[in-house]
Amino acid sequence: MADETVDVLIIGSGHSGGMAAKILTEKGISCLMLNAGPVADVHKDTEVKPVSSLPFRGFKQPGILPHVFQSNEFNANTWVDEKEVPYTYDADKPYNWVRVRLFGGRSLFWSRQSFRLSDYEFKGKSHDGYGDDWPISLADVAPYYSRVEEIFRVTGRAYGLPQYPDGNFVPDNSPWSSSMQRYVAAGEKMGVRVCKARSSLGVDGLASSVNLLLPDAIATGKLRAIPNVVVRELSVDKNTGLVNEAHFIDRLSRREMSVKARVVVVAAGTLESTRLLLNSKIGNSSGVMGHYLIDQIYGAGMICSVPDARDRKGTPDVMGGGGLIPRFRNIDSKAKEFARGYALNIYSNTGPAAPHYFAAYGEELQNQLDSYYGSTLSAGIMGEVLARHENHVSIDKTQVDAWDIPALRIETKYTSNEFNMARDAVNVAVALAEDAGFEVLVKNYDPNPPGYSIHELGTCRMGDDAKTSVLNKWNQSHDIKNLFVVDGAAFVSAGWQNPTMTILALAMRSAEYLAEQMRMGNV
Amino acid sequence: MRRRDFVKGILAASASAKALAAQQATGAAQASPPTAAHTMPAPGPVAPGPVPWMRGLMEVKPLQLSTLVPDTVAQTDAHFFNEQQTATMRRLCEVLMPSLKGYPGALDAGTPEFLDFLIGVSPRDRKQMYLSGLDWLDAEAQRRFFTAFAKMTNLQADALIRPWLRTWMTDHPPTEEHAEFVNAAHTDIRTATINSQAWNDAARARGRNSTGVDLYWYPVDPDVHRDLTTAVGAMRPVENK
Repeated sequence: MADETVDVLIIGSGHSGGMAAKILTEKGISCLMLNAGPVADVHKDTEVKPVSSLPFRGFKQPGILPHVFQSNEFNANTWVDEKEVPYTYDADKPYNWVRVRLFGGRSLFWSRQSFRLSDYEFKGKSHDGYGDDWPISLADVAPYYSRVEEIFRVTGRAYGLPQYPDGNFVPDNSPWSSSMQRYVAAGEKMGVRVCKARSSLGVDGLASSVNLLLPDAIATGKLRAIPNVVVRELSVDKNTGLVNEAHFIDRLSRREMSVKARVVVVAAGTLESTRLLLNSKIGNSSGVMGHYLIDQIYGAGMICSVPDARDRKGTPDVMGGGGLIPRFRNIDSKAKEFARGYALNIYSNTGPAAPHYFAAYGEELQNQLDSYYGSTLSAGIMGEVLARHENHVSIDKTQVDAWDIPALRIETKYTSNEFNMARDAVNVAVALAEDAGFEVLVKNYDPNPPGYSIHELGTCRMGDDAKTSVLNKWNQSHDIKNLFVVDGAAFVSAGWQNPTMTILALAMRSAEYLAEQMRMGNV
Repeated sequence: MRRRDFVKGILAASASAKALAAQQATGAAQASPPTAAHTMPAPGPVAPGPVPWMRGLMEVKPLQLSTLVPDTVAQTDAHFFNEQQTATMRRLCEVLMPSLKGYPGALDAGTPEFLDFLIGVSPRDRKQMYLSGLDWLDAEAQRRFFTAFAKMTNLQADALIRPWLRTWMTDHPPTEEHAEFVNAAHTDIRTATINSQAWNDAARARGRNSTGVDLYWYPVDPDVHRDLTTAVGAMRPVENK
């Protein structure tokens, strides 16, 4: 029987676990990675098909994945089925917990939007008095952002805006289409800056742990990995107080197993990481674990049409491309109805308009769809959700998953701050569209349910004070020095930015710190 | 044939072989004399016949068979909506999604029958929305025009439907009574029609590629122990009686 103690056990294989594996193995440290799902092989597991050949004509099997708005019948088998891995919530406070357990996790499927946080996020309390500052600043993370941006080949344009920090970009010199130019000009009149967005080019279109991080770790010969194992609990040596073992279940056979480790890096994806630690009853002397669940509001926005692009006149010089309005509220002035701020994604679309943009049917609708084809421009919010102690997760002792692991209970809701922010964002988007001479087809002030952005963050937040935070500024447990949590659970505030670049940069920073501590014999 | 289909072929062959082996094993066990095999390491499973049953499958060339989706030749047996609701649904399909520009309408695409199936295996709230929505349409037709919805002219149907049409953004359909049903039904009827085999055939007949082509993910290492009782329950059609 194996009686090995692995150097570093990494739980999770997404962006954060992949980055930890890359950094640690490149420094000569042996790692064992556990992942709850299988390794996907696109050549074996997928097939290009017409929707007409699918069992439900593209509708998706009724009743499944009710909280994964992003799912459809083509990709339904890639998401975690909440009947198999349930979570609970109050009926009047729904939460969309969107999960992937394939090797590579959610790094397989993401929007590629690649932003740095600014000190308006890292030092938010110092700026406006709300919440807490992070124990680090942009200057601390900037060198790591630069290295991550190089790996992920982030394309962007520099603007010199403090709330939209520049980075190590593949230069974006693409011209604006005329529809975007008009939106930019409308913004300038209102003091709203429309910039080029920033995104990861990756390699061959993929910007995932499985093609940008894990191959480097594998090449060192220092990474071993076990798919299809669900970690139930971590245990702590009573004599040393250090975490020393992970207990897991073979997903397919249900065989219970354990593995010993000198160091454990948890990277299961914010809420799964916190669920594991709560189930393990470790690392929570502060009582803060599970609290301050944050994300970003999505779903509020506007669709308009560019009149001179209608009737197939939306040539590439007129339509196409996109932009981003970075946060502009509560920077130099104070908004009356909400704290912090939001960004708006702008897209000038060259494809069909959706039928539900028109109150028509039959031939009348078809004529409108033909006329409006390639003429729509959309704006959607990405807004900061404030960190609140009462928005939290806990273990629901009445519910277990398919492996008898207690489920997570999620209690969170948006408040007037988020709703007012969404209303302001839509009104700004509409005002710019109307000023540009566009026809507003539809607008929506209501955010999607919490969790929809798939940017759940916090619940093991970092801080300098062990009484008010779970992790220190190196993503290391205050309580257990050989326990690290390197995913989004460490966030203190959400900002409006897609958190991927920050998760990657902090995982890199934490892994380098861990390697140095191991070299020095401190861990 | 793709590799996956080949693997499926192997699995199907394996299943048949197991069934046959099970039948034959009974007789073989009765006929076999006791041996000293109990003291030997357990051998791997051996087919009882003279030829290993899997022989040749590793080398077989994929079957060159062009398969059909059943809608190409078969009709959906509808049994969720009652007779009156079915008639209302058929007329609603005819009005909202008629045949246009050489593409099939909802009736040509078998949309009423497909939606009868789809709604019949849907969660309770969606079933109820359709049932009450169809009943409401028919009651309104009787109240305002003294006829069944199924027999209304296009103009009369428009008078009932149009006031409830809304514009909306993705993920945020209208939720007010009647508008919820009218807009959901409209969306479902369009989707079921455009995603149908008949629509795909019409596109190809016009020299266009198949419509709605994308990357379909099969289950990856599906969990054999997964308890599907809840999900299967949700899938079982419930009689509308």
